[in-house]
Amino acid sequence: MKLKIFLVFFMFYTQSLFGIEKIIDPNTIHKNLRCLVCQGQSISDSNSDFAQTIKLVVKDLINEGKTEDEIYSFMSDKYGEWIVFKPQLNAQNSLLWILPYIALIFGGFFIFTLVKKRQ
Amino acid sequence: MLSNLGNSILFISVLVSISIIYLSNKNLKTSNNLIIKNIYQLSLIQSTLIIFCFFTLIAAFIVSDFSLVTVYQNSHSMKPVFYKIAGTWGNHEGSLLLWVIILTIFSFLFLIYNKDHPKKFRLITLIIQNILILGFLFFILFNSNPFSSLSPIPSEGLGLNPILQDPALAIHPPLLYIGFVGSSIYFSAAIASLIVNYSEKSFSFSIKNWVLISWCFQTLGILVGSVWAYYELGWGGFWFWDPVENASLLPWFAMTALLHSIIVFEKRNLFYFWVIILCLITFILSVTGTFLVRSGILNSVHTFASDPTRGVYILLFLSLMIFSSIYLLFKKYKKENYSLNQNSKETFILINNWFMMFYLITVLLGTIYPIFTDALTDNKISVGPPFYNAIIFPIVVIFLIFMAVGPRVKWIKNRFEDIKVYSFILAGSIILNVLILVFIKSYSILSNFIIISALFLIISSLKDGVSALQKNRFDLARIISHASFGFLVLFIGLNHIFSIEKDYNIKVGETKNFENYSIKLEKLDLKDFPNYKAVIGTLEINNNFSNEKNILKPEIRIYDNPKTLTYEASIKTNLLKDYYLTMSNIDRSDYYNIKFQKKPLMIWIWISVVMIVTGGFLRLFKNAKYS
Repeated sequence: MKLKIFLVFFMFYTQSLFGIEKIIDPNTIHKNLRCLVCQGQSISDSNSDFAQTIKLVVKDLINEGKTEDEIYSFMSDKYGEWIVFKPQLNAQNSLLWILPYIALIFGGFFIFTLVKKRQ
Repeated sequence: MLSNLGNSILFISVLVSISIIYLSNKNLKTSNNLIIKNIYQLSLIQSTLIIFCFFTLIAAFIVSDFSLVTVYQNSHSMKPVFYKIAGTWGNHEGSLLLWVIILTIFSFLFLIYNKDHPKKFRLITLIIQNILILGFLFFILFNSNPFSSLSPIPSEGLGLNPILQDPALAIHPPLLYIGFVGSSIYFSAAIASLIVNYSEKSFSFSIKNWVLISWCFQTLGILVGSVWAYYELGWGGFWFWDPVENASLLPWFAMTALLHSIIVFEKRNLFYFWVIILCLITFILSVTGTFLVRSGILNSVHTFASDPTRGVYILLFLSLMIFSSIYLLFKKYKKENYSLNQNSKETFILINNWFMMFYLITVLLGTIYPIFTDALTDNKISVGPPFYNAIIFPIVVIFLIFMAVGPRVKWIKNRFEDIKVYSFILAGSIILNVLILVFIKSYSILSNFIIISALFLIISSLKDGVSALQKNRFDLARIISHASFGFLVLFIGLNHIFSIEKDYNIKVGETKNFENYSIKLEKLDLKDFPNYKAVIGTLEINNNFSNEKNILKPEIRIYDNPKTLTYEASIKTNLLKDYYLTMSNIDRSDYYNIKFQKKPLMIWIWISVVMIVTGGFLRLFKNAKYS
């Protein structure tokens, strides 16, 4: 009985988890693009003409059926990598993406050896 | 006149610092166990002088003495008196003076409150602290002098950036500085402890309250800065992972790690060198933060006072600190004998430090990586919120679980008897999460994990609270801080998941509909204020579901001195949600761009942080009571 309740619950849960539709939200994209004429603001936060233009471009690209990642690479091809707040995973940025995890693994390993030494 | 007075006081302060160093050095060689009275007196005179010097600068701002460059550049005779005063530390030169005030006050207080510690240790701490004071005094005198005079005297000042004219920003720098600069005292103490080999656990008593004080104020400072950004910058967020924000967060991670590991050092006499390293990097990171912010090397929303020549001096000072710290550490390092059980409080505190270092490294890397790519490959990249969210948030889930379990584990060796309790709590958290998911709105898998782990931490902390209450053994401070941290993550998560954001171009009389809301621009008014003109929009927001009506009035302000355009958000706060509305004009058209945001539980995010700090202050009072 317990197991059955659990199973129903579990199925229900996973279903609701994976049932989310993937819609492209222009606001998310605006937030991940830098306003090039402002100081440290994103397109979404800025009131500048540049930001207004980019918003229109993003709207057009979404209507053309481009995915989020395609829009980012379109933007960085056109304006340079500076415009996207999410650094691309390429050779130049590999250290940026990997080093935190190396530090995490190293730290964990270090604690593990400290604890193990005792036994 | 004020210029001469200020400069003379600064000059005398340099002499006082040198005398303190000289006298302390002389006193070190005597066999007497007491520190001579003159040192106490000089130390008191030193802080009094600097405070007096600061008041001189405040006076110059109040009377709008534009013969001082700093006043001329950052003030205006028409400005309200409150902002004239706040303007004193709202600029680079004045804020450095504030920096030195804290250095000297902490130096004096450390001297008088640590009488049970070895004389040698106290004197060397004082010497190191005075070297730091001298370094900053020289920086003020030769590079960033707030008392530099100007001739001919201009008749009017340039004014303070209007977005800095805000009550939150008036108290933000002092709070943050007590945190940043407060860490200097345990930097000095750590160096002194290395030099005199004062590595007994009593060393921890000399610094633990200072760590707590700086941690509390650093947290409050970050909070106020964040609140200010939310109200004033008009984008509806409170954290942007901007380099300047990161600069305040870096020392916070180090402090938080120190706050925990010092407990192990105090109770079990373990991790002495680790504690020392954390003391050193906290202050080093504080100065690094100052360097990054003041040198203008990074592009940020918050860059208000940057100048490359300042950078060189701070960088020099910073390198000196780093190299001497590393040299001393290598010279004095002795291998410690650890005996740790895998299931003990010691291990769990190490785990806290492990995660703190992970956050620190991630944020540090993200902040400085663009500098390196720019210098090495000439390719500018941006590291923004998506990077930090992707790296940090998945790890937060595990961190919260450890944070819930850790405090209940006993010192030295623990037996796990609570697995059943924890599985109940976990089941409860999952059910609560599913209820939110089903009845309100579904969200991503990662968000699920975050909500569950935050609930897990909250429930286990509250359970600890209840059972501690029954046994009358009460670690209230820890329970409040940990539970509040759980609440903080929970509210940030819910806020993120359930916020609504809509962007429209609208003209007077028009109505826009979305979900169950309608929004109408009713009218626009033009109004004149003493130091600005404003276009005020009146918008009605109607919730068709609950029939709740709200009027919001965002503004576009045109300031005269200096000539700037700012956009004032209009915010309606209540216990469940904030409505946030900004408006901006579109050139050559009668349409206005409006951005509407619904931010659920916003106020609870601030309250959680206040509660985290409350825990810190409680611990401080408890320490003070029992010492």
